[in-house]
Amino acid sequence: MTSLTATTAGRAATGSRRLPRLSPYLFIAPFFAVFAAFGVYPLVYALRLSFTRWRGAGEATWVGVGNYVYLLTNPDFWASLGNSAVMWLLIVPVQVIAGLGAAVLLANARLRLRGLFRVAFIAPFVTPLVAMAQVWIVVFDEDYGLVNHVLGLVGLPAVSWLTSTAWAKPTLALLFLWKTTGFAIIILLAGLQAVPGAVYEAASIDGASRWRQFWSLTVPLVRRSIAFLVVVQTLAVFQMFAEPYVVTEGGPYGSTTTAGLYLYDHISASDLGTGAANSFLLVLLVFGLSLGAVRLLRPKEEVS
Amino acid sequence: MKQARPGPVQYVVLALLAVAFLYPIWWALSSSLKPAAEIITSPLSVGGPTLDNYRAMFADVPIGTGFVNTALVLAVKGAMTMVFCPLAGYAFAKYTFPGKNALFGVVMLTLMLPTLVLIIPLLLEMSALGWVNTYQALILPGSVDAFSIFWMRQVIAAIPDELLDAGRVDGASEFGVFARVVIPVIRPGLAALAVLTTMNIYNDFVWPVVAVNDTAHQTVQVVLSTLAQNVTGNRVGADFATVWGELLAAGSIAMLPLLVIFILLQRHFISGILAGSVKG
Repeated sequence: MTSLTATTAGRAATGSRRLPRLSPYLFIAPFFAVFAAFGVYPLVYALRLSFTRWRGAGEATWVGVGNYVYLLTNPDFWASLGNSAVMWLLIVPVQVIAGLGAAVLLANARLRLRGLFRVAFIAPFVTPLVAMAQVWIVVFDEDYGLVNHVLGLVGLPAVSWLTSTAWAKPTLALLFLWKTTGFAIIILLAGLQAVPGAVYEAASIDGASRWRQFWSLTVPLVRRSIAFLVVVQTLAVFQMFAEPYVVTEGGPYGSTTTAGLYLYDHISASDLGTGAANSFLLVLLVFGLSLGAVRLLRPKEEVS
Repeated sequence: MKQARPGPVQYVVLALLAVAFLYPIWWALSSSLKPAAEIITSPLSVGGPTLDNYRAMFADVPIGTGFVNTALVLAVKGAMTMVFCPLAGYAFAKYTFPGKNALFGVVMLTLMLPTLVLIIPLLLEMSALGWVNTYQALILPGSVDAFSIFWMRQVIAAIPDELLDAGRVDGASEFGVFARVVIPVIRPGLAALAVLTTMNIYNDFVWPVVAVNDTAHQTVQVVLSTLAQNVTGNRVGADFATVWGELLAAGSIAMLPLLVIFILLQRHFISGILAGSVKG
């Protein structure tokens, strides 16, 4: 740490002689130009818009917090949050536990074919979501789909995977899990490999069983990776859009209208003021959830 | 003391997991090469191979145009990311200048901004500019992104200052030092950035589907989604099977380029994925 400050100080000294004063500003200018034009400007605009009623044409009328009140007292808004919350429950805990299990198996230094397994696990993460969402439509079709075909072969009744309110959410959650669990495994595996082997040696000498080692050593040490994963996936689940948009169009009976898709519905209905207000409510929610997750998963004593 | 040798149970569990991850991809690829009717009548068999589904799909949707558009967006937007993000990362890693911390704070804040919040205002901005259904609408927003800057800053911070000073002594300009000293040293990081950027731009869907609604500017992903909407409206007879065949053909052809890149460059992919979690 001290060497770092020393070198930056040295840099400033050499720098002033060679007049680099303008260069760093020029180097970061492209980001700020793009951010100002396509980040700050639309954000400020949206904030103003969220206090107006505007249907994409004509005069906008100022409605104060009307759009916010409308949303917060609208059962559909809460239903969309509820749908996303159920999705979160179906996805995040499953992914953390399964991902950790797979990562522990992969972390074993004496495992053969590790490269092959890793490729297999990440392949879904690379495929385009829209393409796989379409495969899901075909595979989980009630009448002609692969899954019900297989169920029929073993004498089980067909299931309305995408057309019943009970199954539509788990089926979409499965798509999300299939697509991103490889990502979770890679993140957790990197966390595990940062755990020094000496820690395990000490534990084995103490006679801790492998199960105990896992719970009292491994889990606390990869807490940071788990926290990162939970935050990233919470953000992703509450913004989930393409899966229901392509596969179920939010149905049946709105059961897969996630928070992200509900937001989009305002755009299709040209109800842009409400849409803007909905965006900000969603941002507040997502920030709150991420902060909560970070707090909850923060190590009690920082392990360095 | 060494870790225990993994037993057969561990191999079986990992193998089952691998099959679960790979089977849907394999099924889509192999079914797209079957006669359309067989996808419905015998979904488990491997038939064909025939290119009928691909012929029907190419005749039905402008996927060729989609690939051209995606390639164009990828080239320009990707190039902007690859030039401007390392450059900004270099400034934040190796210079001290007034306001640096505050400006870097802004970069980090935008990292946490959900993309969804910008969709509506961006769309309105595009229509105010007359940019709906244009390439610049697809390219410019998000072309210099905060995550890549943050990542490149981490990578460049690891370069010893002596190396940069040596370049300066040789009389290189500030940009010259970046181009001739920094860039060659961070080549592995740049490769990972290129691979991840390609994946993100290629798979991007939410913004393109909102910003573009004419077939001339649709990207591959948007063309795919229009095909999916045919399915829900069309559930009768032979047509139905044909649509499924087209759907699987389109999905397969859309996923192949990235799968090939991934298999060839998997090391860069993995370091790209991990870059984000370094400082969770």
